[in-house]
Amino acid sequence: MRTTSRGLIAALALTPLLAGCFAPGDSDDGTGAGAGSGGRLRVALAVPPVQALSPYSNDATVLSKLSVAEGLTALDRNGTAKPALAKSWKQDGDTTWTFELRDAEFQDGTKVTAESVVNALDHASAAKPKPRVLSDVTLTAKAEDADTVTLTTKSPDPVLPLRLASPALAILSAKAYAKDGAVSPVGTGTGPFEITRLSGKTKATLNRYDGYWGGKAKAPGIDVSWIADGTARANALRGGETDIAEWIPTAQAKLLDKATRHEVPSVRTDSLILNTRGGLFADAGLRAAARAAVDGSALVDSVFGGHADPAQGLFGPAVPWAADKRVKVTGRAAATPAARVKSETKGRTLRLATYTNRAELPEAATVLQQQLEKAGFTVKQDVREYTQMESDLLAGKYDALVFSRVTLLDTGDAVDYLASDFTSEGVYNIAGLKDPAVDKAIRAAAGERDTERRQEKIMKAEAEILRTDAVVPLVHEQALQGIAPDVEGVILDPRERSLIDVDTHLK
Amino acid sequence: MSVAHTSARPLLWPTAAGRLLAGAALLGAVAALPWLSGADPARTVLRARSADQNPTPAELDAVRRQLGLDEGPLTHLAHWLRGLPGGDAGVSWVSGEPVMPQVATALSVSLTLMLGAFAVTVLVAGLLCARTVFLGSRRRLRRDRAGGTAAVLAALPKFLLASVLATVCGVWWGWFPSSGWEGPQSMVLPSLALGIPSGAMLGGLLDQALPAAFHEPWARTAYAVGLPPGHIARNALRRTLPGMLPQLLPTVVALVGGAVAVEKIFNIPGLGRLALDAAVAQDLPVLQTATLALVLLGVSAGVLIRALRHALLGRPLRDGALPALHRPPLTVPRSLRWITAACALALLALVTAGLLRDPLQVDTAARLLPPSLEHPLGTDALGRDLLARLGHGALRTAGVALAVTAVSALTGLLLGMAPRASAGPTEVVSTLPAVLAGLLIAGVTGPSVWGAACAVCVVGWSPYAAQTAALLEQERASGHIAASVSLGAGRLHLVRRHLLPAVVPPLVRNALLRLPTTVLVLASLGFLGLGEQPPTPEWGRLLSENQPYAELAPWVVLGPAAALVVLSVLAVTGSVQGRGKGA
Repeated sequence: MRTTSRGLIAALALTPLLAGCFAPGDSDDGTGAGAGSGGRLRVALAVPPVQALSPYSNDATVLSKLSVAEGLTALDRNGTAKPALAKSWKQDGDTTWTFELRDAEFQDGTKVTAESVVNALDHASAAKPKPRVLSDVTLTAKAEDADTVTLTTKSPDPVLPLRLASPALAILSAKAYAKDGAVSPVGTGTGPFEITRLSGKTKATLNRYDGYWGGKAKAPGIDVSWIADGTARANALRGGETDIAEWIPTAQAKLLDKATRHEVPSVRTDSLILNTRGGLFADAGLRAAARAAVDGSALVDSVFGGHADPAQGLFGPAVPWAADKRVKVTGRAAATPAARVKSETKGRTLRLATYTNRAELPEAATVLQQQLEKAGFTVKQDVREYTQMESDLLAGKYDALVFSRVTLLDTGDAVDYLASDFTSEGVYNIAGLKDPAVDKAIRAAAGERDTERRQEKIMKAEAEILRTDAVVPLVHEQALQGIAPDVEGVILDPRERSLIDVDTHLK
Repeated sequence: MSVAHTSARPLLWPTAAGRLLAGAALLGAVAALPWLSGADPARTVLRARSADQNPTPAELDAVRRQLGLDEGPLTHLAHWLRGLPGGDAGVSWVSGEPVMPQVATALSVSLTLMLGAFAVTVLVAGLLCARTVFLGSRRRLRRDRAGGTAAVLAALPKFLLASVLATVCGVWWGWFPSSGWEGPQSMVLPSLALGIPSGAMLGGLLDQALPAAFHEPWARTAYAVGLPPGHIARNALRRTLPGMLPQLLPTVVALVGGAVAVEKIFNIPGLGRLALDAAVAQDLPVLQTATLALVLLGVSAGVLIRALRHALLGRPLRDGALPALHRPPLTVPRSLRWITAACALALLALVTAGLLRDPLQVDTAARLLPPSLEHPLGTDALGRDLLARLGHGALRTAGVALAVTAVSALTGLLLGMAPRASAGPTEVVSTLPAVLAGLLIAGVTGPSVWGAACAVCVVGWSPYAAQTAALLEQERASGHIAASVSLGAGRLHLVRRHLLPAVVPPLVRNALLRLPTTVLVLASLGFLGLGEQPPTPEWGRLLSENQPYAELAPWVVLGPAAALVVLSVLAVTGSVQGRGKGA
């Protein structure tokens, strides 16, 4: 039988080929075997690592979320600095601070000394491009003795302790810093968990680090998988494949058991940015008409499925001090009535942009389109991937943008956000706002050293900005964390910087 | 174009040159992407590394210097090419890690997945053809088949199938992991999601080709002599498969780079996602290496398939003694007319009822309402009436998809007639994901309504070119062409009376089976700003924008998916009816 033997040969030839193709997949998953056993936590994170968990990239938050690395300071619930690797600090002058280090060891066994802190901070300052948290400050570190470090800034920096809590300024052991500028946190942090293996952009294995200065972690380890798709993350949690899944999309929230759904007010505010430098919204009356027409609270129960708060200003409930210090907005331009909007726009269409990266924004844009059309505007949407449109946005090619923005950036201080987004020389000034009163108010806040007064001045600046109608806040987002009922001690952090710490464990 | 067969060995160099040129052109275009699109790679790379980083001129300069962007595309391409022979494809612009291991891992994952999908494809295609094979090998094939089942399965959107499978088999029943890539058990669901529509497509084509083989004289003789049905079936398959094999390239092998949506849903670290992320971040070393891998894969699969075809057809093809396959006259079943009429009526009702309603009226109080008298198909997440959206989207969707399919099929037909020159481009293009073409087009034209159609046309012709080339090769080797030539037939006569009639019907069927895929691919380019912008209703967009709600409110995807299925069944059965009348 010629055919049979030929078929047999073909089958025999194909078998090793198939086995060969399986091999890489299998060896890659070896780490996943036994996940969840012996009280290990399984976590599904949303944003896959872009630079092998380098603290100078997006990945920095992973290091703090999973308690791998620490900075000199950390932030407490209210956003004030608390001791971490530094047990205390004091300000010696306008630009000089002294930090006393605690007795701690890196995961590779070396001691945390003033030298190692200086080394880590020097590397952060020298990194190219500069980590965001150092973008507006020049930092010099000097070792005074084995456990004292002096930090000097070029100009006075009232928020330095807050800055040092940023995961980008995590202190890693000397071994972490390669000659070519790459930084590896694998086994070089000081936190209660140590990364033992990082497999590409899909998985990481963390084990408990027994020498942690703050005591032994309750969980023996963490198995991390990165699942970029929100539905897949929710599925993994529902299917029992993971214990913690961060950022459950609104569309999936209702499918999750109530006991596994945890809402956290987020420092993210979604707003409608109006382009003041040209086009329709150079006219303050039309801006006011748009502001009057847009109702962000309509989005809360629909697009966000109740997982958001109606906007109160630029800063929402996740910024605890904002509500009490809010300043009433006065002196706004009068809104052009709907009947006159048509003639004022002279037949021009309103180009409404938003991006697909956050699933809720395109839906929000469609709701806003209808609200704006009711006010007499003719609206045309442009919805794309963010990187596809960023240069157009900054060049002012749109009249309005539905925008989601983190209001407390790395420093945990709001001035940074206001300065980059709303001052005339701000680099992220999509509204193209050039208003002397706004500039002055933001400058005043930036120069203030006293925390309380700084917050007051920030809220004054907020009122100044809202007066111009260059930005219409819509909602304050809530992050939705999915946590299996048998997990205890997960940190629900509005800044999305912490998730798991020494106390997190399976029941 | 040489019409008559030659006994001399065909020249190999035009094919090789075609492959080399096509591959080089594609790689050149990819390497020049940032300079074509005018989007600053420093900006996209910075954004990919650190989402909240302020794009200050100083930071952008730092990135630019780090990557050496001022040197221009040629220097970069040359540098990358120099490293390749030593297995060094440079380092990723975003992560700074070596590219080769990343691409190799992703490629092996995607290849494994593709093999799984191939197994499912074979299974589904086999099941679809089982009836024809069974009856045909026993000479009981009387009635024609519409291929309705094939049309229904081929119209199922892969991403929808994937999310249904992940939810039902992964979450509800817990049979398989709902996501991840942890060994053979996590291959099952994605393979099914990818393989079922592909299998339906190929099975539908094969099912239509088989009756001709069963009606050839050899089959009659074999039956009369009393050879077992298995023998006849095997030989009939051997006779028809070679015409089908080239379809594997754009249907199955293309899944290596073109399964992005399914890779996302199942969280599979495959080549499609890697290439897409690299393309969006303009991470050229990764993108170029991934493209090169796809080009090499396409070409080697093409060569392999060609060798397999020639092995199956063997000597008759070389000697020009291949009898032509011609469909026997089969009676068209009466039920077919009813199916066609019902589909046409359903679509007509949908369009008329839909057009009377407002597709854009957002009502946030009426979101995700189940079907009722007021909203016969329910409402979507923004409270818009789904019937209205389907009805208003019907003409635009069907019109654009038909136009794109027609242009692609025609291009494919013309290129397929020059098989040696077009073999290279066909192989290169067939594994190229439409998203990549879209990105190149978006780079050149900027966001535009016609961009999506252009991008799909650019890559969409390859299945038809491959099919045309394969069918023509077989047709030219048949006796009646030689007879015509010896009777003094001119080229035009040959093309018009012999070649086109043999090629066009299978081509049309292929095109109609691919119609729903075209609708979905068109919509998948929306995030690049190509195609109609929201909130314009369009079927592909309806499916993708409602997909997250599929489990919470199944009607939001059932309506559009059913509409797509009805359209596909109507197209396929309608074409069978037309053929019945023509015959």
